[in-house]
Amino acid sequence: MSAKTRPWLLLAPTLAFFFLFVFLPVGVALYQSFFSWDLLTPPRWVGIRNYTSLISTGALLSVLGRTLLFAILVVLGTTASGLGLALLLNREGRFFAFVRASIFSAYVVSWVAVSLLWLWILDPDRGLVAKLLSLIGITDVRLLSDPKSVVPTLAVVAVWKITGYAMVIFLAGLQTIPTSVLEAARLDGANAWSRFVHILWPMLKPTTSFVTTTSLILAFQAFDIIRIMTQGGPANASKLFVYAIYEAVFLNLRVGEASALTVVFFVVLLVLSLGQFHAWRAKA
Amino acid sequence: MNDRLGRRACLLATAGLLACNTSASVGRAHATLWFCYGGKNREVLLDLVGRFNRNQSKYVIDAVYQGDYFECLAKLRTALAAGLGPTFSHVVGEVLPYLSSTGVLESLDEYPGAHSLGFVRELAQAGAYVGGDKQPLFGIPFNRSTPIMYANEPALQEAGVSIPDTWDELLGAAKKLYRPGNDMRWGFEVPISWWFWVALVGQSGGRVVEPDGTVSLGFDAGVHAVEFLQELVHKHGVMRPPPGRDYNAWDATNLDFLSARAPLTWTSTAFLRYLEQNAKFPVRACKLPRHVRYSVPTGGTLFVMLAHAKRAEKEAAWAFLRWMCETDQTIDWATRTGYLPVTEAAIEKLRKGGYYDKHPNDWVAYAQLKSAEPWPWAPHLFRVQRNIIDPRLEEAVLLNRPARTVLDEARREAKEEG
Repeated sequence: MSAKTRPWLLLAPTLAFFFLFVFLPVGVALYQSFFSWDLLTPPRWVGIRNYTSLISTGALLSVLGRTLLFAILVVLGTTASGLGLALLLNREGRFFAFVRASIFSAYVVSWVAVSLLWLWILDPDRGLVAKLLSLIGITDVRLLSDPKSVVPTLAVVAVWKITGYAMVIFLAGLQTIPTSVLEAARLDGANAWSRFVHILWPMLKPTTSFVTTTSLILAFQAFDIIRIMTQGGPANASKLFVYAIYEAVFLNLRVGEASALTVVFFVVLLVLSLGQFHAWRAKA
Repeated sequence: MNDRLGRRACLLATAGLLACNTSASVGRAHATLWFCYGGKNREVLLDLVGRFNRNQSKYVIDAVYQGDYFECLAKLRTALAAGLGPTFSHVVGEVLPYLSSTGVLESLDEYPGAHSLGFVRELAQAGAYVGGDKQPLFGIPFNRSTPIMYANEPALQEAGVSIPDTWDELLGAAKKLYRPGNDMRWGFEVPISWWFWVALVGQSGGRVVEPDGTVSLGFDAGVHAVEFLQELVHKHGVMRPPPGRDYNAWDATNLDFLSARAPLTWTSTAFLRYLEQNAKFPVRACKLPRHVRYSVPTGGTLFVMLAHAKRAEKEAAWAFLRWMCETDQTIDWATRTGYLPVTEAAIEKLRKGGYYDKHPNDWVAYAQLKSAEPWPWAPHLFRVQRNIIDPRLEEAVLLNRPARTVLDEARREAKEEG
């Protein structure tokens, strides 16, 4: 075996896997995006009409805008709450271990269970939030049925679910920072805020990058939460990318439109991933 | 020790049951039914399927739950595209013309007795669609329904409200019933959904698809229908659009009715038994009010057989369908669920047996069929419903967008869809 062929042979299983489960489906989606097809009748060639119609109706822009808003809220919320909790709970003792485990437990629960739980909490009549707000005279709160509040509300649910994971990663990051550095800063008179800004935050940057990347991916993949809590409503206000693809192909019989959305989704993720990759390389 | 014995006994009993089941179904023709009900309806259907399987020795029906109507339809289409799928299923009326146009449905014309089952015309393919009798027979009526109005009688009496018979009276009743504050009570509630909008369009004197096939969306009648909902929600603030989409909004409406938060609602006759059995107050079913006329669409589903299935499977499915349309089964299904009995013989037997005297709400549902509007036999009807109207209705009512603009856009899209 020559030195040239050996690496390719070793890479072959991985490349075959990628080809079969990533590139081939994307290629098929790209091909299907040029047709109008409902699965049951023969596909009809429409060229780029699926793309132009998504753009001209504003559907693409609004789905993309909503997904980005959701992703930004989830990334910011998860990073801030995960870091905050890690700083608070980075202590020894059974009580803190119990609190850490409790917070992390939400992460291991399925999205379906979390969505059902929050549906009850947010129910405008019988939910916990409605009951609590009614005690202070606020009635008729419709967080999930108001087009303006539905995406931020879903983002809160997503943050609640994945914040435990972010906390654990930040805790691991915090424990890699030598205590001697913090001790020295304290002896030099640095207060808690200064220690955070000048020592902890810079040293946690790789951890933060990891948390933001994983939560960004999770946010873009959001489906179960939408399917169960809002079905994309009200008035499409919570129709995020993956749900829009599902709705187009399975509920509205439009394979071509769903394929066009998939291709755009792939490109968006590719651009975001490349951006992230370049940021990492620059830091390295 | 006892635990171990108990476990062994359980295992032996399970194995025995499996063996009996296997031996009982050996040599019998199997047919698979994909059904789309949860709750009480699922329980009743499975009971009927079990009875059919026990009471004869030639066929076995394997009933498989596939989610709600739309989930089931999605799975059905995907399975058919892959060359798989069940022997038979049941689909909403709006999708029947589309499925028939794709060639996936079996024509039932040649099946023994297919045209002598004595269906109530408004509920069968012949009368449920304009020109339905000129098409090959694809659909056998199963769980058929219409929208209906439910009233919480004591709440209406307490507020001095009589059953509304016109849109104006409905608005007046909703204003009187509405009670703000911590103990909030809405004056009226209806899911913001295609089916109820179609009822409003009909009551306003229009139709969604014109006889020449043009998707008119009722022209002015369609606009009036949306504006009426907007008035209830925004101008007078006496109705809240029930939260959730599709059947979630229907569930929310039922819960609001049962918890007395909405004493006047529109929903399906399918929930008649459920609401009667679960309400802590007397439930009164009433026909929907008129604007310029009375009008209701029919709803629910029709059984369809899939063309790809094997001959023996189709024979088993047809035997089951005929059995389901016999008077006893039709009555059992209808009286236990609240769906309309689909055969004239069943209606007659119920009437003569005094059933409707004891259950006047059931009679209201049946009598309302006089104002039932047939659906157009339009293959694109389902797309008009799912792609064009449902999302725009929500948008128009929740965001209070001008009804005429919204429907003009919808008509344009329907035209582009062809």
